[in-house]
Amino acid sequence: MHPAQSPRSLWALSKGETCAVLGFDEALPEPYRIRLMEFGFHQGEAVTCLLRPGFGAPRVYRVSNTVFSLDVEIARFVFVEQSELGSA
Amino acid sequence: MNRVLLIGSPNSGKSSLFNRLTGLNQRVANFPGITVDVASGPFAGMPDVELVDFPGTYSLQPISGEEAVAVEFFQRALTDPEVRHVLCVVDATRLEKSLYFTLQVIRECQKRGKPVSVLANMADVLAVNDLAFDHAGLADAIGAPVLLVSARQGLGIDLLLSELRQKLISQPAVSSRWSETPDELLRGSAHQLAQRFGPRGDVLVQSQLRLDSFFLNTGLGGVAFFCIMFLLFQSIFTWSAPVMDAVETVVMGMGATLVPLISNQVIADFVADALFGGVGAFLVFVPQIFVLTLVIGVLEDSGYLARAALICHRPLKVFGLTGKSFIPMLSGVACAIPAIYAARAVDSPWQRVMTYLAIPLMPCSARLPVYTLLIAVFIPDETALLGLVGWQGLALFLIYFFGMFAALVITGVVSRFASGAKSELPFVLELPPYRLPSIRPILRMAINRSKHFVTKAGKVILAVTIAVWVLGYFPNGGTDLGTSWLGMLGHWIQPLFEPMGLDWRYGVAILSSFLAREVFVGTLGTIFGIEGADDNMLPLVEQIQGSGLPLGSGIALLVFFAIALQCVSTVAILSKEGSFRLASRMLVGYLVTAYLLALLTFNVVEALV
Ligand SMILES: Nc1nc2c(ncn2[C@@H]2O[C@H](COP(=O)(O)OP(=O)(O)OP(=O)(O)O)[C@@H](O)[C@H]2O)c(=O)[nH]1
Repeated sequence: MHPAQSPRSLWALSKGETCAVLGFDEALPEPYRIRLMEFGFHQGEAVTCLLRPGFGAPRVYRVSNTVFSLDVEIARFVFVEQSELGSA
Repeated sequence: MNRVLLIGSPNSGKSSLFNRLTGLNQRVANFPGITVDVASGPFAGMPDVELVDFPGTYSLQPISGEEAVAVEFFQRALTDPEVRHVLCVVDATRLEKSLYFTLQVIRECQKRGKPVSVLANMADVLAVNDLAFDHAGLADAIGAPVLLVSARQGLGIDLLLSELRQKLISQPAVSSRWSETPDELLRGSAHQLAQRFGPRGDVLVQSQLRLDSFFLNTGLGGVAFFCIMFLLFQSIFTWSAPVMDAVETVVMGMGATLVPLISNQVIADFVADALFGGVGAFLVFVPQIFVLTLVIGVLEDSGYLARAALICHRPLKVFGLTGKSFIPMLSGVACAIPAIYAARAVDSPWQRVMTYLAIPLMPCSARLPVYTLLIAVFIPDETALLGLVGWQGLALFLIYFFGMFAALVITGVVSRFASGAKSELPFVLELPPYRLPSIRPILRMAINRSKHFVTKAGKVILAVTIAVWVLGYFPNGGTDLGTSWLGMLGHWIQPLFEPMGLDWRYGVAILSSFLAREVFVGTLGTIFGIEGADDNMLPLVEQIQGSGLPLGSGIALLVFFAIALQCVSTVAILSKEGSFRLASRMLVGYLVTAYLLALLTFNVVEALV
């Protein structure tokens, strides 16, 4: 359905949008990659951007049944792709 | 002694379960080689079995200093033959997050032959929201018993205790199902198991989102944040005033009753001035510490504190800090010592140093007696807006704000020019669900904190107060303070404080406050008590007002106390947690800055009034 796109980052998700985790940028240090996976950010897992508070504050994402807040410095290293689940 | 380890990821309800299982019968265990305090206590109904509360961590692969300590402690505890069982707590409503950690724990336990049980907490939340959780299926799949419990309501606790008792006697064989499984596979299994057996549906996330949409809203959320912080300060000043008055009345009443019964003049003077004057003046501030701890506890338990960290992240980042620095810094409002320990949660080493730098400038409760005294001397005890806002509370808000502002300016400047600032780690924070706070544990924490303050600071205060009283009373029997040993010492250092309009009495009080800031009040109490007539029962405030202290000197003192690092305990812990070099640099740096700023303030204020 979707033409090949360059991967979007988690930070680019708009409020209410759901995507699937595609992978991580090489630049993200290993311990952080592992911790994100422990939190549930697995490849293929649905992640929803719940809130985008103003003034560049960390954004709020839901993965599985847990809610996390991620700053731009980490969210921009998480790649996502359009998900079958669409928007929440 | 048989020991049972309690382990779980943050926010799983581990502390609540610990309290439930031990009947709040907590003491701090001392484990060799680790620097964190580990709580332990006998099981309610099993006095010979000790439950050890393991510091919370998300994973056995640590990414912060705090987690590294916790993991090291866990690995060491598993080799302890007295550890007979491990209880691993998971939040049943958010299984995915905890399950990988649980499998890691099971694997490590199996490697060392320790039996483990999984406690799926928050059963009450599952029941209320009609969420299904197949705990029997999960138990089969992971090869360890899974018990549904609710720490809050006590569900499943009796069953847990009886099964545990059984297991401690029978010592079941430990399987080795997971003992060789690599992390990668554990992660995959955790994900599948959570999908298969965990509760479905998102009612909890949706209700959390409704509140987050308000509290994290740029406009309304910001207003709510400032209102909550403002209420925090009003609560510790205006609202605790009646209790403070009551304490003061009781202390004064006891003094007035006791002193006339003492025939020896020296002892009578000692009891009246050193004991009731000095120590009494400090005891009056315990209610504020109690209320402050209570309010912070409620904010933390309600889930709001994590939102505050998110809100503060962006602004704090500008000053070289992170949103995670907010909680240690806020704890610093109560006391720098626990705050320095709490800074371990700041995973970036550089930002942790910045947090250390900020903490001693946070307006800690030991400053509160000094601020309260000086504010009471200069600010009228009147209210505005139908009695809701007191001018004294407002003044306190401003001086608190000044301390925090100074902290940000200093960390901002340091992080701009220092090279270590490049090594920051990014910000990831779990937002726990909003919950109604459980009041009992919070009350208990507030009582403990107040007790800790009284016993810890009390000893120093008693020693200093007695020393100051002796120095001031002899060699002339308290007839002339100016020619006493204390007076001589005060006159000797007077040139240092004279340029800010402070005489030798304040010099002595400042010197003694380096042991602990609040000693300032006790020392002044003793000094003025000795100087004033014995039958003068007016509070210390009126004596200072009567002594004609200029406004500029009062504000200079406030500024000095806001910046200077006058606390031996803080310096000692800083050198332990950070380094001796950091602690000594901070001590000297803040002292010089405080002195120069106080001098500047005095001159500016006196030129203006
Ligand atoms: N409804 C409900 N709430 C619970 C239960 N157990 C704990 N809580 C609440 O969950 C929150 C976290 O509980 P804690 O006991 O502090 O959890 P912890 O795992 O020790 O968390 P950290 O102190 O962050 O490591 C608190 O607000 C508790 O009141 C439970 O069984 N049911």
